[in-house]
Amino acid sequence: MLACLCTVLWHLPAVPALNRTGDPGPGPSIQKTYDLTRYLEHQLRSLAGTYLNYLGPPFNEPDFNPPRLGAETLPRATVNLDVWRSLNDKLRLTQNYEAYSHLLCYLRGLNRQAATAELRRSLAHFCTSLQGLLGSIAGVMAALGYPLPQPLPGTEPTWAPGPAHSDFLQKMDDFWLLKELQTWLWRSAKDFNRLKKKMQTPAAAVTLHLEAHGF
Amino acid sequence: MALFAVFQTSFLLALLSLRAYQSEVLVEPLPLTPESLNVSIDSAHQYLNLQWSVHSLAYYQELKMLFQIQISRMKTSNVIWVGNYSTVVKRDPVLHWSWKSELPLECATHFVRMRSRVDDAKIPEPRFWSNWSSWKEADAQKSLGRDPLFLFPKDKLVEEGSNVTICYMSRNQQDNISCYLEGQQIHGEQLDSNVSAFKLNKVSFIRKTGTNIFCKVDQKDVIKGIVLFVSKVLEEPKDFSCETQDFKTLTCTWDPGTDTSLPKRSSQSYTLFESFSGKKILCEHKNSCNWQVDSDSQEMYNFTLVAENALGNRSVSVLFSLTHRVHPKTPYNLFLKNVSGTKATVTWKVHPIGNYSTLLCQLDLLGEGNVIQQHNVSIKENGEYLLSELEPDTEYMARVRCADANHFWKWSGSISQKFITAEAAPSEALDVWRNVKSVSGRPTVTLFWKPLSKLHANGKILSYNVTVENLDRLSGLEVHSVPATANGTELTLDQDSYQIHVTALNSAGPSPASVIVVSGDPGNEEVEEERVNGTEDGFSVSWKPQSGKAIGYVVEWCDHPQDLPCDLQWKNLSSNTTSTVISSGAFRPGVRYNFRIYEISTERMAYLLEKKAGYLKELAPSDNPQVVVSNLTSHSFTLSWKDYSTDSQPGFIQGYYVYLRSKAEKECHPGFKKATLPDKSACCQHRIDNPEQKTFVMENLQPESVYEFLVTPYTSAGSGPLDAFTKVTTPDEYSHILIRIILPMIVCVLLIMITCYLKSQWMKEKCYPDIPDPYKSNVLSLIKSKENPHLTIMNVSDCVPDAIEVIHKPEGSKIQFLGASKSLTETEFTKPAYLYLLPAEKNYSGPGPCICFENLTYNEAAADSGSCGHFPVTPEALPGQPGPLTSPENLLKALEKNYMNSLGETAAGEASLNYVSQLASQMSGDKDSLPANPPEPVLCSEYKMQMAIPLGLASPPPAENSGLSSTTPLDQSEHYR
Repeated sequence: MLACLCTVLWHLPAVPALNRTGDPGPGPSIQKTYDLTRYLEHQLRSLAGTYLNYLGPPFNEPDFNPPRLGAETLPRATVNLDVWRSLNDKLRLTQNYEAYSHLLCYLRGLNRQAATAELRRSLAHFCTSLQGLLGSIAGVMAALGYPLPQPLPGTEPTWAPGPAHSDFLQKMDDFWLLKELQTWLWRSAKDFNRLKKKMQTPAAAVTLHLEAHGF
Repeated sequence: MALFAVFQTSFLLALLSLRAYQSEVLVEPLPLTPESLNVSIDSAHQYLNLQWSVHSLAYYQELKMLFQIQISRMKTSNVIWVGNYSTVVKRDPVLHWSWKSELPLECATHFVRMRSRVDDAKIPEPRFWSNWSSWKEADAQKSLGRDPLFLFPKDKLVEEGSNVTICYMSRNQQDNISCYLEGQQIHGEQLDSNVSAFKLNKVSFIRKTGTNIFCKVDQKDVIKGIVLFVSKVLEEPKDFSCETQDFKTLTCTWDPGTDTSLPKRSSQSYTLFESFSGKKILCEHKNSCNWQVDSDSQEMYNFTLVAENALGNRSVSVLFSLTHRVHPKTPYNLFLKNVSGTKATVTWKVHPIGNYSTLLCQLDLLGEGNVIQQHNVSIKENGEYLLSELEPDTEYMARVRCADANHFWKWSGSISQKFITAEAAPSEALDVWRNVKSVSGRPTVTLFWKPLSKLHANGKILSYNVTVENLDRLSGLEVHSVPATANGTELTLDQDSYQIHVTALNSAGPSPASVIVVSGDPGNEEVEEERVNGTEDGFSVSWKPQSGKAIGYVVEWCDHPQDLPCDLQWKNLSSNTTSTVISSGAFRPGVRYNFRIYEISTERMAYLLEKKAGYLKELAPSDNPQVVVSNLTSHSFTLSWKDYSTDSQPGFIQGYYVYLRSKAEKECHPGFKKATLPDKSACCQHRIDNPEQKTFVMENLQPESVYEFLVTPYTSAGSGPLDAFTKVTTPDEYSHILIRIILPMIVCVLLIMITCYLKSQWMKEKCYPDIPDPYKSNVLSLIKSKENPHLTIMNVSDCVPDAIEVIHKPEGSKIQFLGASKSLTETEFTKPAYLYLLPAEKNYSGPGPCICFENLTYNEAAADSGSCGHFPVTPEALPGQPGPLTSPENLLKALEKNYMNSLGETAAGEASLNYVSQLASQMSGDKDSLPANPPEPVLCSEYKMQMAIPLGLASPPPAENSGLSSTTPLDQSEHYR
C-alpha cells in the first residue's frame, strides 16, 4: 500500500496540472547557482589574465606564489576536507554568502583603482555577475528556510590601502583577491554540486511527505 | 682728588683693555665653529637634512660664511662626499642644508660633520677654517622594525631615463637572498655583510602600474618588493600661441606633448603667467587656457606657460601685441541673390571686432571643387559682391572667410553656399552628320548628332528640332521634334535635294542651327579604296582636295565595323586641312576599319572623296578557308575556296599557301618548295600571291596515292593555322572505265530483278505452278497428237474419298516445327486424326487406282514420314477455340460439321471450310503415327491434293474447282505454317 502511494506520489511532479501549482523546491535554484559558479569561473579566467598582466611580472607568472601578507582579511576558501564534509547545509551556504559579500566589496575597490577603461569595464561586468551569484545563493538559502547572515555594524570590508601599505603590497593583495576568488568559485561549484545531489533524494522524500499529507 | 685719580686710572686701564681686545678680535680669525649640528633623514625623498647654528657673530649683523661638509657612509672614515656650502649668516642663525643620497638612506648609516670659515670681504685675510664639528650619525635602520628583509626605496617615482639605486638589507647574514626585476634576477653590489645595492641606469617606462622589483629569502616564505614608477619625461609645451576673437578674451593654446600621468599620481598641470600684469592662472585644460582681457589699456602681453608635475617643470613664453593676434569669428548669413545665367550677388555678415577694426574678407568662387575666382573685400560688418562671368546652368560654391585687415594673423573659419546659375540658350550648333541609304528605292537619310557639351548646352536639352526644306520644289517646311534622349533620327525622302536644319532646345531657347544638305542621288560611290596604316596614335588619313570649293571635310568611320549598328563616327575638318589622325579608344588590332572622306561643298552637300581601309595592327588569319575538292582524277584534283571573304579577315590577305604532303612522294612538284610544319614534319608549299585567286589545281599526282593538303591565307602578320590537313586519295587509272561498264550492268540487273519480283506471280504461273495443269502440259499435247489421240486425263471426281485426315498443329509448336521434324511425331496434337467418310471395311475396294499428287510444301514433317499431310484447320477453331479441339469428341464434332459443310455447302459454291483435305495413303510412313485401328491400306493411288488459297479467293473459279473433291480456303496465317 505504502509502495503504491510512494509510486503515485513520486510521479506527481510529472503531472503538469499538479506541477504547475506545486513548489519545485530548491533544486532548480541550486542547479542555477551551480551553473553560475561555473560561468563565473570561466569569466574569471579571462579577467584574471588581463588584470595580472596589468600588474606586471611576477604577478602574471604561472608559478608565482607569494605569501599571504596583507590579504589576511580576505575570506579563505581553503578548508580541511573533513571539515568541509562535515559542514551542514546552512553553514555551507552561509560561508559562501559571506565570502562573496566580502569579495564583491574588494572587487569593487579594485575596479575603482583600475587605470584603464577596458579593465574597468571587465571588472564592472564581473562584479555584476558576482552580484547575481550572491543573489542566487540568497535565493537558495531562502528556499531552504535559512536566514541571511547580517553584517556586523562597522565591519564593512574595505580594500583601501593603509598609509604604510606600499604599492607592491597592494599588488600582492590584488593578486590574492583574484586567487581567493578563483578558489572560492571552485569550492562553491563543489558545494552546490554536493548540495544538489543531497537535495535530490531528500527533496523527493520531502515532496512525498507533503503530497501524502495533502492526500 | 686721589679718588678722581683712581677713577681716571681705572677708566684708562679699562679703555686700554677694551682697545686691546678690539684689536685682538679684528686681527685673529673668528672661531665660528658650527654648533648644534643635527642630522635628520627624509626617507621619502632620500634627503639628509642638516641643521646647525653659528655661535655669536658679535660685532657683525651678517657675515658671509663658507661651510665645508663631509659625509661618510657605514663608518666615519668612509667619506663618500665632501662639499662646501656658502651662505650669509645673520645674528643667531639656525642654518639648514640638505643632501640627497643616491643610495636609500635606510640601507646604510651615514655620518656628517662640518667646519666653517668666514668668507666675507669685511674680514681681512688670512682666514682660517674652524675646527670640525663632531661626527653626527644618521641611522634609519633603527626605526625599521624586526622584519628579516627590507627593500628600499619604497615605491619611488622617477623620470624616464634617470638612474636609480635600489638596496636590500637582511637581518640574517646567512640568508640567501635573490632579487628580481620584472621577473628577471638581478645581481648587485654588496655594501655590507647584509646590505646589497643595485644600480639601475636609464630606467625606461614599462607600464603605468610601475616596474616591479622584489627580493625573496630562499627557502623561506619571505618576500619584499617595491614598485618603481617611471614617468614619461615632461615635455616643453609646443606651438604655444594666444589670440583673441573679440578683444575680451585671449585664448592661449599649445600642444601638451606626452601625458605623464600615473595611477594615483596626477598628470602635469599648466599655469599661465603674464609678467606685465603679474597675474597668474591655473589652466583647466591640458592644451588651452582662457585669459580675460581687463581693459583696453594693456596692449602688450608677455605670457609664460609652465608645465609642472611631481618631478619637475617646463616653461615656454610668448610676447605679443593684442591687436596683432586677432582671429575673427566665422562669417555668417551668406546668401546668393539675383542669380542669372552669368551673374550672382553674394552677401554675408561678420561679427564686429572693436569699434574701428576693418576686416578683409576673401570670397572664393568654386566650380567642381576648384577655385575659379577669388576676390578680396574690405568690410566692417556686412559684405556684398557681384560675381560675374559665370556659366549658365552651372553649380558653383561661394566661400567667404575674413581676417583682420590691419594686422593679418589668421583667417577666420569659412562659410560657404552652393548655387546654380540660370539656363541660357545653347551656345553652339550641333555637330550633325548623315548617312544616306536607299530603302525600297527611296533614299533614307539617317541623321546623327553629337550631344552638346555641358559648356555649350547651357542647360538641360529638352528636345531636338529637325526642319526639312525641299530645295528643288516649293513646299512647306517639315518639322520633326526628336526627344532629348535620341542622338539622331531617320528621314525618308525622295530624289530631290533637301536642306536639313537641326537645333537643340532647352528651356531658354534653341541653339544655332546646324545645316546639312542631302540629295537622293548618292553621287559617285565608285571610288577606289586605298589602304591606310594604323599606328599607336590611330590612323593617319590624308586626301587630295578635288573641287577647291570645299568648305570643309568629314571623315567617317565605324568604331565597331563588325557590329550592327556599327557605331558611326565622324570628324569635321576645316577646308584647309588635307590630313588628320583618326583615333578612338574603340580601335582594336585585327579589325578592318573603313574610312570615307567627304568633301563638304559650299551648298553644304557632302561628296565622297576617298575611301581608306586599314588595320590598327594586322594579325595573322585565325581561320583557314573551307576548301572544296573537285575534278579528282588519278593525276590531279582541283581545290577551290571561293566562299572565302578577304575583307573580314584580321589583316589584308596577301595570298595563300597551299601545302601538300604525301607519303608516296618525297620530292615536291614543280611550283612547290619544301617547308617544315610546326610539328617538324616536312611538306611541300606553294604560294599564291594573288588574294583573289581562290582555286588551285594539283597536278602531276600519282594514281592510287593518298595526298594531304591545306590551304591557308597569309597577311603581313603571318599565315593561318597549319593544323587541319585534308586527305585526298587519287583513283587508279582504269577505275573510271570500270565504273562506266559496271555501273550500267548493275543497273540492268537491278531492273531485271525488280521486274521479276513485281511479276513473280505471273512467272510462277507460267514457269513453275504449284499444281501443274495436266491440260496445259505440252507433254500431253505431244502424246495426244503423236501416239494416242484417245488418251485422256483422269478426272479427280472419279476418285471417291473415304477419309479426311485432320492434322492439328498448335501455334505454340511453330518453332518446333521449324526447328526439327522429330517434334512432330512427339506431339500428341500433331498426330493425324482420321475421319472416315466411308465404311472402313477390309474388303473395300475403291473405284480404281488413283493418281496422288503430293505437295510437300504444307507439311514437311508429314512428307518426311512418308504420308500425305492432312491439315484440319478451321478458322473459328484456331484462335478462339483451342480447347474444344484438344478433346477428341470436340474435334470430331468440328470435323463432322466441316465435313457436312464441305459436302453440302461447298458444292453450292460457298467455302466455309478453309482447309483442303484428301485421302491419305497409309501404305507407307511411320506406323506409330497411325491410329490403333487404321483403315485398310488403299490399294489404288490416292489423290492427295493441297492448295493454298488466299481468303480473298475463297471462291475459286468453277473450272478449276470442278476437279477437286473438296476445297477449303486456308487461312493465310496457316498457310505459312
